[in-house]
Amino acid sequence: MSFIDLKGMLQPLGAVKQLFKKPHTIQYPYETNKASDNYRGLHFNDLDQCIGCGNCSTICQNDAIDMISLDNIDGKKGDSGLRPRIDNGRCCWCALCVDVCPTGSLNLTKDYIFVTDNPNDFLLTPGLDNPDAKDRLSYTCDMNTSLSLYDRVPMRELDGKERVKSFAEVVLGYSEEEARAEADRCISCGLCTEACPENMHIPEYINAIARGNDDDALRIIYDNNPLPEMCGKVCTRVCEDVCALQVRGEAVAIRWLKRYATETAPTVEMIKEIVDPKIEEPNGFSVGIVGAGPAGLTAAYYLALKGYDVTIYEAQAHAGGMIMYGIPKYRFPLESIDKQIQYMESIGVKIKYNTKVGKDITFDEIYTNNDAVFVGIGLQNPWNIGIKNEDSPGVISAIEYLKIINSDETYDVGKKVAVIGGGNVAIDGARVSARFGADVTILYRRRVEDMPADWEEIEGAEHEGINIVPQAIPTRIIKDEKTGKVIGIEYLKAKMVAEDGGRPRPVAIEGSETIYECDTVIGAIGQQADFDWLPENYKEDLIIERGKIQVNDLRQTGVTKIFAGGDSVKYGNSDAISAIADGFNAVKGIDKLLLK
Amino acid sequence: MVREKETTLYIGPQHPGITGNMMVKLKVQGDTVVSAATHVGYLHRAFEKLIERRNWIQAFTLLCRFCVPEPDPMELTYARAVEELDNREVPERAKYIRVIVMELARMQSFMLWYAGQSGSAGLYLTPQWSVGDRNYILDLFEDLTGGRIYHMYIWPGGVRRDLPEGWTDKTLRTMDYIEKRLDEYNKILFDNTIFQKRAQGVGIVPKDKAIEWGVVGPVLRGTGIKSDVRIDEPYEVYDKIDFDVPTQEGGDIWARALVRKEEVRQSIRIIRQAIADMPGGAYYNKVSNPMKWTVPAGQAWAKTESVRGEIGFHVTSDGGNKPYRVHVKGAAYTHGVTVLEKILPGQNIADVSFILNSLGVCPPEIER
Amino acid sequence: MTDLVKENILLNAVTSAFKIEGKVIRDRRVEVHADKNTVSSILLFAKKQLGYIHMNHMTCIDWIEQGEFELVYTIYHPVDKLTLFVKTRIDREIPVMENIDTIWDHANTYEREMREMFGIEFPGLVGEHDFILEDWDQIPPMRKEFDTHKYAAETFYTRPGREDAKDVREELSKRSGTVVPDFAKKYSRE
Ligand SMILES: Cc1cc2nc3c(=O)[nH]c(=O)nc-3n(C[C@H](O)[C@H](O)[C@H](O)COP(=O)(O)OP(=O)(O)OC[C@H]3O[C@@H](n4cnc5c(N)ncnc54)[C@H](O)[C@@H]3O)c2cc1C
Ligand code: SF4
Repeated sequence: MSFIDLKGMLQPLGAVKQLFKKPHTIQYPYETNKASDNYRGLHFNDLDQCIGCGNCSTICQNDAIDMISLDNIDGKKGDSGLRPRIDNGRCCWCALCVDVCPTGSLNLTKDYIFVTDNPNDFLLTPGLDNPDAKDRLSYTCDMNTSLSLYDRVPMRELDGKERVKSFAEVVLGYSEEEARAEADRCISCGLCTEACPENMHIPEYINAIARGNDDDALRIIYDNNPLPEMCGKVCTRVCEDVCALQVRGEAVAIRWLKRYATETAPTVEMIKEIVDPKIEEPNGFSVGIVGAGPAGLTAAYYLALKGYDVTIYEAQAHAGGMIMYGIPKYRFPLESIDKQIQYMESIGVKIKYNTKVGKDITFDEIYTNNDAVFVGIGLQNPWNIGIKNEDSPGVISAIEYLKIINSDETYDVGKKVAVIGGGNVAIDGARVSARFGADVTILYRRRVEDMPADWEEIEGAEHEGINIVPQAIPTRIIKDEKTGKVIGIEYLKAKMVAEDGGRPRPVAIEGSETIYECDTVIGAIGQQADFDWLPENYKEDLIIERGKIQVNDLRQTGVTKIFAGGDSVKYGNSDAISAIADGFNAVKGIDKLLLK
Repeated sequence: MVREKETTLYIGPQHPGITGNMMVKLKVQGDTVVSAATHVGYLHRAFEKLIERRNWIQAFTLLCRFCVPEPDPMELTYARAVEELDNREVPERAKYIRVIVMELARMQSFMLWYAGQSGSAGLYLTPQWSVGDRNYILDLFEDLTGGRIYHMYIWPGGVRRDLPEGWTDKTLRTMDYIEKRLDEYNKILFDNTIFQKRAQGVGIVPKDKAIEWGVVGPVLRGTGIKSDVRIDEPYEVYDKIDFDVPTQEGGDIWARALVRKEEVRQSIRIIRQAIADMPGGAYYNKVSNPMKWTVPAGQAWAKTESVRGEIGFHVTSDGGNKPYRVHVKGAAYTHGVTVLEKILPGQNIADVSFILNSLGVCPPEIER
Repeated sequence: MTDLVKENILLNAVTSAFKIEGKVIRDRRVEVHADKNTVSSILLFAKKQLGYIHMNHMTCIDWIEQGEFELVYTIYHPVDKLTLFVKTRIDREIPVMENIDTIWDHANTYEREMREMFGIEFPGLVGEHDFILEDWDQIPPMRKEFDTHKYAAETFYTRPGREDAKDVREELSKRSGTVVPDFAKKYSRE
């Protein structure tokens, strides 16, 4: 080939014609480049939506995200109060932080130009430093694109029609595989631990389950809860209400995971072997405890571990208090309670059954023979409904009814039952009646969404064919004039009225009287403590206000030596876990008092 | 002829051509290279080590940075290795999307190659054009992934987001445009005598040595050996797509250039088919919570055809939530060291970066 | 594809010739486990007799708990399109391995990198010692015990202004007055 290749020399010159084409790069008039709709530019965080879970800062493999306190944001339950700050000198705009943000508050924007001569400006607190970027969101993440796992592993249950035939446990529990999958969803932020009255080490035991170390999970659980099998089955699980995943999806099934962990130790021996509790040498102090409910039992367990000589005085034949005599057995079977109590006794807790303080033994005796006393008597007396004919045969309070059934005695509710109330106790009374073949209706003053009962319990009741009549205010019980027995209940329909923007209240609609015919009326509108056993001289010093004993944060009463906890004190939510927290904290108090 | 004195000459470590920071230490006599030695170490970021400290998903954001001109095959190869270990199915739609992304990645990388190859021959018009046109492909990436160069888009289980609305139409329009432009590139580059003279007979990789030296990709195909992971060991949906693997004889820069010239067109062909055949449905088979997701213990070797040839990932898991070891092998690892050192002697100094470009040497890939 | 005939033939050819163990991993992937002294003979055999003329890759994995380095040679048959892994383990305390760059030239690069990154010696290996690292005075960095966090903390300073960062879990524990027991801490958020 000769060097002079005419075609090869001239062809390239054809490029000259490009001179007359519209240029690609320069635009007149000048236009700024518009970033695409999912451009990954600077961050924006919706500070109100953000709950400070810190998942962004955990995933960031560049360590670009710090969680910091901001002046105008305080922590509360379900919000750590911290917010992410991005070191833009480190960020690589991978947007993983966005894809793992459980609430969707953190997003990237179209802002890709950021010029400043102050290096500190590159530490940007999204949302605070760039509030206007809200309108330029680009790379966002919805529930489909998110890496968070929003759907709970469903819990297997007996079918509703099957359930009402017996007291067999309704919830079947997670299999190992299901538990691991559910545990994997947890992002370990720990927001739940603050909401839990007992501040259990939730992320830790869930993570132990996720990693397949069930024994460690159990050990972590027993670190501050000696009744986990009960909590695993029936806890009110306020922790789940603040789960980071719950903001957009379903909370991690914390309760079921705890249940799973306890199920890996089906016998007392196994619990003892796995938990391997360290029992300290006797320290020479003795503590007397009134009432073997969750509060008393918890105090007893941790006191015994610390070397105290502990004796519980319990009026009933079984320990457990309301978790024994209140909670129906299809939720918390007898074997489970027995196992938990046996485990406690095996580490040295002494329980004197059938010993009612004030009757079988005097409180003075307990008080003088012990270095400290813990009172956990719960709420044993029901409130009256407060309507006409309440004393007729066929009217019974839920806790009395449940106590009869749980003591394996009988009570005939007939064919049709009306239950008054909207809490868990009402639902329990209703579901137990349904198990005896009754047609059950719950009358509740407010709307279904206002019912304080657990949503799963309400759903469970509905699946079992229980009818809920909301906005119904009972007015009188109708009795058969001859036999005196209940034959129905009359109620007024109510409308919901919100006064001054407050919580809507039910207001009876005049003339809306309706009669529901029934054989039994079960009242479930609350309980109160019974202090009759307590000598007068203590009553004053203890300070009892509105039916509840007043205590400080170490659960110490007005009497130095007397500590109290559970439903009968002012702390907590009147549930088992609050009672446990009281017992646990009282141990700290007693320790402080006696060991200094 | 007078025997000239031997001198030492350093090419780099500033970008020799546009391949990245590395240095070739040359011994020259006059204008002729006597021996060459590759020196790297200017770009070492210890990615493989850093990955061992990150979980499987976090690691994915580092991968694309192994090779600046061609980040996507890194993501894909890693994803495939992890999917093999985890026995994870990838939805059909994701496979098609991956193929499209791979071919777009190939095209944008070719555009850079055009720039480097002609720029290192002193022809500066092509770089202006091709880098400009590359931006139209990067626009597509931006629309799809939110990023222009580093996409962090293909991850274990599928892809990160579904195609945005109207994206396929825009892609097809861009393909039509690029196809037209390729004809114009031909005129200024391939038909250009200067380029032909510079490329022909220079930087020859001998056919009989090529495989033994570990040569892959267009460089290997330029010696007449038909080898392409996409047909040898088809992945994603390459076996359902009709395309040719061009080869050329000669093993010189010219042969490699001709191979590449044809490959861009094949990419357009693949993209059009993939868009036409793409099914609907899921684009991602979600993995577990990234902080906790574990991958069964084992080792997997996945390979992908990048624009410079085979990219392989050797991924080892000990069953934990972090990779135990990830070893990345890019085409440049052999091309930039063994092959380069072997073919430079006897060449003219002026051709060194020209050769570097035609071998597809990407220094960040050598030292990672 | 699923009957794995070619794969089994390959496996048999290598395992019977050298009396070693191995397995077919899946279609196109076969691995054999060799003693470190037979590796080069296997590679040569595979290359010359079986047609595995292309070496894709060589890697090293540090199994620190077992006190071993695992070396994996990945070789490829361009016609059969099969990949053979030859795997061997060497003592971490005496990290010496035969140099195979006479079989494949580019093995030289891999070996230089392994020498530098894992501290494995390949007697007779030609090539400058500083390949990627320069003036490196620490242990070979790809060894598992080399702690990048620690190294970075000792070598570089962190930018000022980020000291106020808090840990969410700690903040919550502090606020609720709980102590996560030590044995549980390994399960806290990383
Ligand atoms: C029907 C029902 C269902 C419930 N369901 C749930 C649930 O699902 N989840 C949940 O978290 N909580 C539930 N609760 C609440 C929970 O059972 C209580 O909050 C918890 O048992 C309170 O514990 P406590 O230790 O304070 O009292 P209690 O459990 O009431 O125990 C007090 C104990 O003290 C004994 N005692 C009282 N006076 C004396 C005396 N003078 N001498 C000796 N012993 C005495 C009692 O016999 C009793 O054993 C339910 C309660 C009821 C009634
Ligand atoms: S975009 Fe990626 S690198 Fe940047 S802060 Fe978020 S996670 Fe970190």
